[in-house]
Parts: sequence; C-alpha cells; structure tokens
Amino acid sequence: MTMFSRNDKAPEAAPAPKPAAATPAPIAAAATPTPPPPPPTPTENRRFQMPTTSTSSSPSVSVISKALKITGQLESTEDIHIEGEVEGDVRGVSVKVGQSAKINGTVHGEEVEVSGTVNGKIEARKVVLTSTAHMSGDIVHQDIRIDSGAYVDGHCRPEYGRPDGKAHAVQKPAAAQGEARPAFGSGKSAEVRSIA
Amino acid sequence: MSALPKRALIRTESRQDGAIPMSRLGRGITVTGKLDAEGDLHIHGRVLGTVRADRIVIAPGSDVEGDIVARDAQISGRVLGRVFALNVTLDSSAEVTGRIFHHTVEVARGARIDARMPWRPLNFFETLEQLPETQP
Repeated sequence: MTMFSRNDKAPEAAPAPKPAAATPAPIAAAATPTPPPPPPTPTENRRFQMPTTSTSSSPSVSVISKALKITGQLESTEDIHIEGEVEGDVRGVSVKVGQSAKINGTVHGEEVEVSGTVNGKIEARKVVLTSTAHMSGDIVHQDIRIDSGAYVDGHCRPEYGRPDGKAHAVQKPAAAQGEARPAFGSGKSAEVRSIA
Repeated sequence: MSALPKRALIRTESRQDGAIPMSRLGRGITVTGKLDAEGDLHIHGRVLGTVRADRIVIAPGSDVEGDIVARDAQISGRVLGRVFALNVTLDSSAEVTGRIFHHTVEVARGARIDARMPWRPLNFFETLEQLPETQP
C-alpha cells in the first residue's frame, strides 16, 4: 500500500443527530453555545499589510532616499537618483545627486548632475553642477556646466573618454572629436591640407 | 541623517505616519556593501551585503546575498543569507536559503525555502544590537 494514497473512501461523516422537533431543549442547547472566541491577534504586529504590487514609479530608476546610507559600491545600468549618503563609488548611466545627498567617492556616469555634496571625483561625459552643489575633488568631463553658486574645489579636466588624458584621442572618430574641440579638428585638417 | 538609535537594530514600534522615506533600488543596480535605511526599502536589483530598513520589500527577480534586518520583510525574490525580521512574508516567488529569524511568518504556496525558521520572542528583536554569529 502506498503511504500517501488518497483516501477515497473517507469515513462517512457521522450523521448529525437530528434532534427531534418535538424536543426543543436540545435545539436551544445547540443554538446557544458561546461563539468561538476570535483568534488571538498577536499584538499589533499583524496590522501591517504590504502592498504586493509596488509599481509606484518607473521600475528602471533607482532612488536612494534621504534616510538611506550605503557603505560600498553602487553600480547600475540605469539611472540613479541619490538623496542619501554613499560611502563609496557610484556608477550609473545618469546619476543625479540631490540636494541632501552626500557622496564620498567617485561618481561615474554618462550624465552626472550634482546638487548636493560630493567629496571625491566625478567622471562623466556631461557634468552639471547646480547652484547648491558642493564639489571637492577633480572633475573629468567632456561637457560641463557650473551654475552660479556652486562650490567647486578641484581640477576640471576635459579628458573624459580619453585613455591617457592627451588631447589627441586615438579611438575616437574625428567627427566626434571635432564637436568637442572644433579648433583642433579644423586646425589639424588645415595643416594636413597645406602639407598636401 | 540620523540613523536608528545605535543600540537597537530593529525599531519595533511602528513609526508615526508621515513622510516615510522610500528608497528603491532598480532592476539594473548592483550594490556591494552595507545598506542602512530608515523607512521603506524596495529592492529590485542585486545586493551583496547587509541590508537594514524598517520595511524591506525584495521584489521578484531580485537577488540579495547577505543578512536582512527589518521590522517587516516581504520577500519575493532570491535571498541567500539570514533574515532577522519581526514579520516575515514569503511570497510564492520567494527563494530563501539560510535562516529566517521571525516573530510572525507567512509563507505562500510555491515559495522555495531552504532555511531554518527559528521563532523568536518580541524582545529578541527589541534587544537585537548585533547580529549573532550562527553556524552555517
């Protein structure tokens, strides 16, 4: 016999004793039993109810709120919005450092917008320092905007994406370079033409 | 930016409702290190390290390796490590390996739990100051 065979022939439920209508006493007895006490609610801990589907904002963006502190590294293939504290490096596509944010470490990204405090380094193609920004450290960028009121203490170097920091990048096509530094591109081509 | 009182890791009394800060880690994010939050924390990405918050939601498809410390923990993703939470909810998509220290627990059908689930009294969580060492 199998151990867990389905019990097909369940024992017939004992037929409820049908109280004779003529004897009202048992009916009254059956009707009056005290209702079972409600299940004990284990204090107020049971009270919480989690929303099972939390699709408040778009799922791709990460929000580090004011009350969150991260010690370590943050890496994302998406956008990051930081309002909290980060001790470590941040790497994302578009990184927004909010007003209450504080970052000790390097911020990498395609686009970095700083309104808070960064102690460390920024490496990004496009850097925006708003008027509330407080930046201590170097900024490696290709395109930078610094609003009036921003505090910047460090070097700004337009060397983003260049392997050795030299002006003449090798892996970039000339067209892309020309946009960032038109003087170089035109001057070079003129020189080449004159030589030819 | 005042964190929880240094002594207690878990705030057992429910906070006065108001502007509860909410943090979320998106799907593409990987955090290596310690996360220490007040309020809610929704994790959709990957975390390697200890996570602490009042309420933690580990979404389906997420991945946490490390200890989770919270008052309320709702787990729908993969967890490898220990969970310390008063109220634990394990959804059907949860996958937990490790230990679940709890006061109340709810497990949905389909959850994959490869863990010991020790019950602990309230004061265990109230007085939790340091995560205990446990045998693997």
